[in-house]
Amino acid sequence: MGSLSLALLNSLDIGLLLFIIAVGLSIVFGVLSVINFAHGALYMLGAYLAFSCINGLGMPFWLTVLVAPLAVAALAVLIDRLMMRFVYQREPADSLLLTFALLLILNESVRLTWGTGIHVVEPPALLQGTITLFGGIQYPLYNLFVIAIGGVALVGLWLLFNKTRVGKIMRAAALDRDMAQVLCINTRLVVTGVFAFGAWLAALGGVVAAPMRSIDPGMGDKIIIESFIIVVIGGLGSFPGALLGALILGLIHGLGGRYLPQINLMLPFVGMAIVLLLKPHGLMGRRASL
Amino acid sequence: MSTDNQTMTVSSRPSRKSSLRRITVLVLTVMLVLLIALPWLVPYFYIFIATEILILGLFAASFNLIFGYTGMLSFGHAAFFGMGSYVVAMLLQSFQWPLLACLLAAVMVAALLAWVIGFFCVRLNEVYFAMLTLAFGMMVFAVAHQWRSVTNGSDGIAGFSVTSFGLGLELTLGNPSVYYHVVLVLVVLAVALLYLICRSSFGLTLRAIRQNPERVAFCGLNVRRYRLAAFTVAGAFAGLAGGLMAPFLRIASPELLHWSMSAEPVLMTILGGSGYFLGPFVGAGVFVLLETWVTSMTQAWMLVLGIILALMVMFFRRGLLGTILHWLQERK
Amino acid sequence: MRCVSLFRSVLALTAAVGLCATSAQAQDDDPIQIGAIYLMSGSAATYGKFAQQGIDMAIEEINGAGGVLGRPLAVHLEDSQGKAATAIQAARKLVYQDESDVLMGLDSSGVAQGLVPVLPELSKPFIITHAATPDVTGKLCNKYTYRISVNVHQNMSGAAEIAAKTGAKRWTTIGPDYAFGHQSWEFFGKYLKEKMPNAELMSEVAFPRFGAEDFTPFIDSVMASKPDGVLISVWGGDMVNFVRQANNRGFFKQGFEVLFTVGAATEVLTALGDQLPEGVWVGTRYWYGAHDNELNNKFVSGYKKRYGAPPSYNAEGAYMAVYAYKAAIEKAGKVDGDAIAQALSGLTIPAPTGQLTFRKGDNQALIGPTWGKTGAMNDADKIRSLTEMVTFDGQKITPPVDAACKL
Repeated sequence: MGSLSLALLNSLDIGLLLFIIAVGLSIVFGVLSVINFAHGALYMLGAYLAFSCINGLGMPFWLTVLVAPLAVAALAVLIDRLMMRFVYQREPADSLLLTFALLLILNESVRLTWGTGIHVVEPPALLQGTITLFGGIQYPLYNLFVIAIGGVALVGLWLLFNKTRVGKIMRAAALDRDMAQVLCINTRLVVTGVFAFGAWLAALGGVVAAPMRSIDPGMGDKIIIESFIIVVIGGLGSFPGALLGALILGLIHGLGGRYLPQINLMLPFVGMAIVLLLKPHGLMGRRASL
Repeated sequence: MSTDNQTMTVSSRPSRKSSLRRITVLVLTVMLVLLIALPWLVPYFYIFIATEILILGLFAASFNLIFGYTGMLSFGHAAFFGMGSYVVAMLLQSFQWPLLACLLAAVMVAALLAWVIGFFCVRLNEVYFAMLTLAFGMMVFAVAHQWRSVTNGSDGIAGFSVTSFGLGLELTLGNPSVYYHVVLVLVVLAVALLYLICRSSFGLTLRAIRQNPERVAFCGLNVRRYRLAAFTVAGAFAGLAGGLMAPFLRIASPELLHWSMSAEPVLMTILGGSGYFLGPFVGAGVFVLLETWVTSMTQAWMLVLGIILALMVMFFRRGLLGTILHWLQERK
Repeated sequence: MRCVSLFRSVLALTAAVGLCATSAQAQDDDPIQIGAIYLMSGSAATYGKFAQQGIDMAIEEINGAGGVLGRPLAVHLEDSQGKAATAIQAARKLVYQDESDVLMGLDSSGVAQGLVPVLPELSKPFIITHAATPDVTGKLCNKYTYRISVNVHQNMSGAAEIAAKTGAKRWTTIGPDYAFGHQSWEFFGKYLKEKMPNAELMSEVAFPRFGAEDFTPFIDSVMASKPDGVLISVWGGDMVNFVRQANNRGFFKQGFEVLFTVGAATEVLTALGDQLPEGVWVGTRYWYGAHDNELNNKFVSGYKKRYGAPPSYNAEGAYMAVYAYKAAIEKAGKVDGDAIAQALSGLTIPAPTGQLTFRKGDNQALIGPTWGKTGAMNDADKIRSLTEMVTFDGQKITPPVDAACKL
């Protein structure tokens, strides 16, 4: 049963990393009704910035985890002020189109800035190597760290949305933007803030993922499809939905990759289609709210 | 969408309208003549460009039936395009059917696929529709990618040759100029048919659904059924376009099913203008020409495309054709 | 649709078409144009870049020595993006718009399979410098297609010999899920059985999709099946990912033999550094440290001086293709597609790997792969050095002409 435990551990690992990335997408939709097609590109930007910080500037990993996502969030603020504000009040198709344009711009800019080569980021010295777990399984220490970070993010976000004022404001704006405005909540600030927060989460995912994957210009595209699947399975705008979706997808990758490699590529889509047929608003649905 | 806001004066209107109609027909004829004469007017390479523009223009026009007319944004339209390509490629490789027969098969299979996928998708609105069409599109891509025994996986189906056209016509389809004319005839016929569909009461109902689905439902019409019909018809035309693409490219590969391919008609329609019937064609022309020119100069074509798309969406939402026409109208 | 709007649409469209017709691009050639199609984007883009470097170096050397038939060489580079359709359109563009006289390129076997059947229409010779599928010199062969690099047959023949020497009996594979991965395994199995009849080719094999980010499920399943040897044909960014993830899993400590079919690519070795463990076998079409002759030494030192790194096999292949064209054009005496294609047949030219001959029967160059075991880090070049190097003789290692090829 060692291989099953390993596969399950892999699933948890992949799932929680995907959660960090996908929940940002879900939150942005929930509050702004905008699907950010460029969410994957922001994740990729986080990973590339991590590469530059760690390899180029020699920054320690811990500092990079703080700095890189903030830089991407700052970029997101710029994007919101300069581009997104034109499409917020229009039909959803327009924001999809604009964020798609953003995706193309970011993808290409990354390629032009960092080149097309394969970049490698090492885990910090503290987290290198493997440890032996129950059942004699060798598991990389860094992957355990990722699981831990995922857990921290989970708890942190839950606290944010349920126990803090900021979180409640976000939920209010999600439920009824006009009412929120009437109640003198500065919706302008909320909109920009949420968009930047979503970007921050994506970039955080990128920084955390960097030591686990090789960094290349195609990584953004791969992750955006995964994120879409997660938020659709879980329910757009739902926080527990994003967790559920991410874990399900993690399981599909971990178990499917191990036991059903032939149809592995198709499984996530089949899952998405099935969920949508039975529960069009996702397993947790919008009604479950943030 | 172009709205009718010009007032009708009883006396002058009808004659003006009929003279405009005559001019339109004249211009259309001139354009057609130009297109037919194109291989003798432009450098050899542009024959390929023109063929590509015609095919992708048809693809984009079929997309616009769903998007511009019915108001649904589909990100999986390439599934039908690619399916058309694969059907033609497989038939040519295995059975060497005449091209017309292959195209007919492509249209039918693509329509069937569109009906099946549409059945699941048209129940949902806006954003969900976009994501579900994306999912199904990628699912078809995944199947083509994985099913090596049938589709040859990521390598695609290549090495087939187009020998006969059908209808007893002897055509060297391998000659780019000849193939261009074949594509031109078929696309013009398809566009004419599509135009008739758009102008019919069916087309009007679609436009009504786009503007206010609830009101249409209250009128007693089954919105879902109309949407499904539009989706299926659009899929059929996309299948035709894809079927024409396979002999042109000499290969049917999974990339034709990928969401990045689905994005092309979207981009072209936005570029040209989703509110006008010929908008997608204008968009296709601009897109392909831009791509050819920009890629000669720089590797950053995607960046240029992204910037243009962003600017179009933010400031020129009507598209090129729409903006030009709007400007012309404003001047009156 | 209002008539007015339609009329105006038609007017605008006519203008557009008219504009197209007048915007022709004329190009006059004094230089001999080389059209090159390589992977310039995506995770394997370094291969394209290194090929470009090889081409540039060759062109500079040749032009500096007077050019070919008194004319300088120039190159146009297009990105295949790893897609056959893109490559076909790029080839048309190179020939019809950029007026290329000769063509070269191709990293991906899948792309090659799509492009090669189209080449006779273009009537220009094409030298493949990287893609290894045997089909282009087999069932898809034509008089315009040549390959200057090692193909899967040659490489797997060499791999099978190495494998047989190790004595490992049960073999499995991890390869990318397209022509290259499948054909590598197919021919490795065939040649291994010839050399070691009691070898066992396991049914549990792994074919992750090309460009897959996560190889851990495949790594785990291969480790669980307990083979004696593993043939690994992932390349480019995949190989980098794979090795790092495999290290984490302790893959290389399991005690089975590991053969990386195209592992000795400097693109990958530089990215991996000391992460690639010692003691694994890696193969390549060309290893800069394996040939001690004047031409190779000059090539390697020149390349290092110009680019600051040792030449990869893709660079050497591209470099040699330019020189092959030089020799062919001089032999033909004119710059004509058919004539050059004819002149290449059976041509022998000196190369860093020794004498290089295009076999008449299928236009495949008779060269052998180099295999070696990873050793200590070469600090000067910052990559692993190779020990126990074996360079197979092209004449001996190349299987006979495929019956499907009738040139």
